[in-house]
Amino acid sequence: MLASPSAFGSNGEWAGSMQVEFLGIPRERAGVSTLEVHATTLGQLLGQLAADIPALAELITDDRLHPALAANLNGDRFVSDPQTPLDEHDCLLILSADAGG
Amino acid sequence: MSAFGFHGCYLRIDVSHGSVERIPLPEAVLRQFLGGSGLGAWLLLNEGQAASEPLAPGAPLVFAFSALVGSPLTTSAKFAVVSKSPLTERFNDSLASSGFALSGKRCGCDAIVVVGRAPSLSVLVVDDGRVRLEDASDVRGATCEVTEGTLRGRFGSEYRIASIGPAGEHAVRYATISHDGRHAGRGGSGAVLGSKNIKAIALRGTQRTEWAHPGELAAYSKELSQRSFGPATAKYRELGTAANLLTFNRFGTLPTRNFQSGTFEEAASLSPDQLRVAREKTRAGCVACTIGCEHIYPVGDTGVRVEYESLFALGSLCGVGDRQSVLLASRRCDELGLDTVSAGGTIAFAMECVERGWLDAPWLTFGSGEAVLRAIDLIGGREGLGSLLADGSRRAAHAIGHGSIAIAPQVKGLEIPGYEPRALQTMALGFAVGARGADHNRSGAYEVDFSNKVNRRHATLDAVRHAIETEDKAALMDSLILCKFLRGVFEDFHAEAATMLQLVTGWDATADELRETARRIVTAKRQFNLLAGWTPAEDTLPERFLDTPLPNDPAAVLSRDRLGDLVAEYHRQREW
Repeated sequence: MLASPSAFGSNGEWAGSMQVEFLGIPRERAGVSTLEVHATTLGQLLGQLAADIPALAELITDDRLHPALAANLNGDRFVSDPQTPLDEHDCLLILSADAGG
Repeated sequence: MSAFGFHGCYLRIDVSHGSVERIPLPEAVLRQFLGGSGLGAWLLLNEGQAASEPLAPGAPLVFAFSALVGSPLTTSAKFAVVSKSPLTERFNDSLASSGFALSGKRCGCDAIVVVGRAPSLSVLVVDDGRVRLEDASDVRGATCEVTEGTLRGRFGSEYRIASIGPAGEHAVRYATISHDGRHAGRGGSGAVLGSKNIKAIALRGTQRTEWAHPGELAAYSKELSQRSFGPATAKYRELGTAANLLTFNRFGTLPTRNFQSGTFEEAASLSPDQLRVAREKTRAGCVACTIGCEHIYPVGDTGVRVEYESLFALGSLCGVGDRQSVLLASRRCDELGLDTVSAGGTIAFAMECVERGWLDAPWLTFGSGEAVLRAIDLIGGREGLGSLLADGSRRAAHAIGHGSIAIAPQVKGLEIPGYEPRALQTMALGFAVGARGADHNRSGAYEVDFSNKVNRRHATLDAVRHAIETEDKAALMDSLILCKFLRGVFEDFHAEAATMLQLVTGWDATADELRETARRIVTAKRQFNLLAGWTPAEDTLPERFLDTPLPNDPAAVLSRDRLGDLVAEYHRQREW
């Protein structure tokens, strides 16, 4: 379980725990395949990852992923806007952007 | 003719007589088609044999280099092998890497065209542009690796060797040409070389080309190399393409049991984590490459380079989760000189035919690593059932009947690589329209599916221009020639490609010119296919993929009508 600096989002609302799943290079860097994170937006989540996992920090800048990485919500759609809202039932997959060979 | 980057000629070698002509290449041709796949397409059209049998003596086999070969640009030591495919009977270009490209260009030519048929199994020796045939009976039946080692021992270590294995000698329609452990893999160019009674080509040369701006080229190359060490190539360097397997399984796009599913319950056992736990590995790379993408896992007393395509094709596609079996199968394909994707696809197809009672081979069952290994050996020697499977899944389906063509995992006869079309529908379009058949290297459309540009489970007409962009970019990279693993390093690839050409050739190349060049090259491939008998009905997918949801992902449905609309829009945007 990743300890969040605050279980509340920046607007004071309760930030529920959601799952982050790492694939490829992000998994290699994070050292784990999954984490639970408290966040209400994509940018907040990425900011926490950068702060708490130094090996990921070089791949996250200004709450955005390096172009070599991609983020997918629930296996359905790829997201990049830091303002993308996240729900406690969501699962964010972080993977290498060049998914192929 | 520009004095920079090119020799301005090609060698046309008739192995029936061991004769060679040095034929000029106009600068206009080189500028319009560059090198590699582009130049190969032009030469193939120029030979005028599009309607010929691919394995006939008159069918040309082209080895094409480029202006960038021999330069300090990272990943530039590559060559294209271009011919009419014996598997698809359509245009085929396959690429391989390393010293053969450098030596080939140092023979004083920009390409080598081989025609004819040698009187007996031979080695074609090209020594600084002089040509002779030597007897190859001592390496008849030898693996690619043994052949290369034996011939370097015979001719000298300064020679670079490209060879076929037993599969090429037996005219397996997806036999490869191998150099230094890397294969010009897809489409059966190994069978074409074998049909000419050529076991191997041995090259050495001393003739180098000049660069227009050597100082600036060196500086640019150094900066590009530094970028190539960054996050954009980390996946290839640290994990290899094997990392794709768990990603695809997670997204439900990992072809399993002949495309009956997009998830494989044993995927974790084939992941880099498990391969690493099971065996130590080492890394290697091509000559002139800073990425070092090759991950080599010991198997027995030797090692095998394992890519995602081999893990999927010989693993999940055949229902095999046993790491040792998959590594051994991959190794055996390398030894025999077999394309792992077509081998795995054809074997998996046969396994499903057995399951359905259409083929009498009870030993050939999904999940049996032993069966995969046995099938590979039969294919390589064209023995028993292998004689049927050596012709690929499409021909096998026609022979088996029972409507099995519906489940043969191929487009235009080329077996589908490791991307489930129903869940990656821009890729599905790329597969359907590809000149050489279902191919993830000539269409990078899966990158579009793994982005926010499209809905990968429901491609609309918006996806078409993205698919075209990836196809054009691939054609350009294959003609420059640069490794596609470098692609993420560029912010503006066309602008940088123009810079590279300016520095090497002195041409005032521009990004817009190269976009046009890419379209020209793709069109040339289509032109060849038209002459070879292509019809619009070929630009589609097998029945299995149409109108039926993917079992593990009910939202992933590709209707026949929608694919038809996508293909029609593709042709409209191509202005064909």
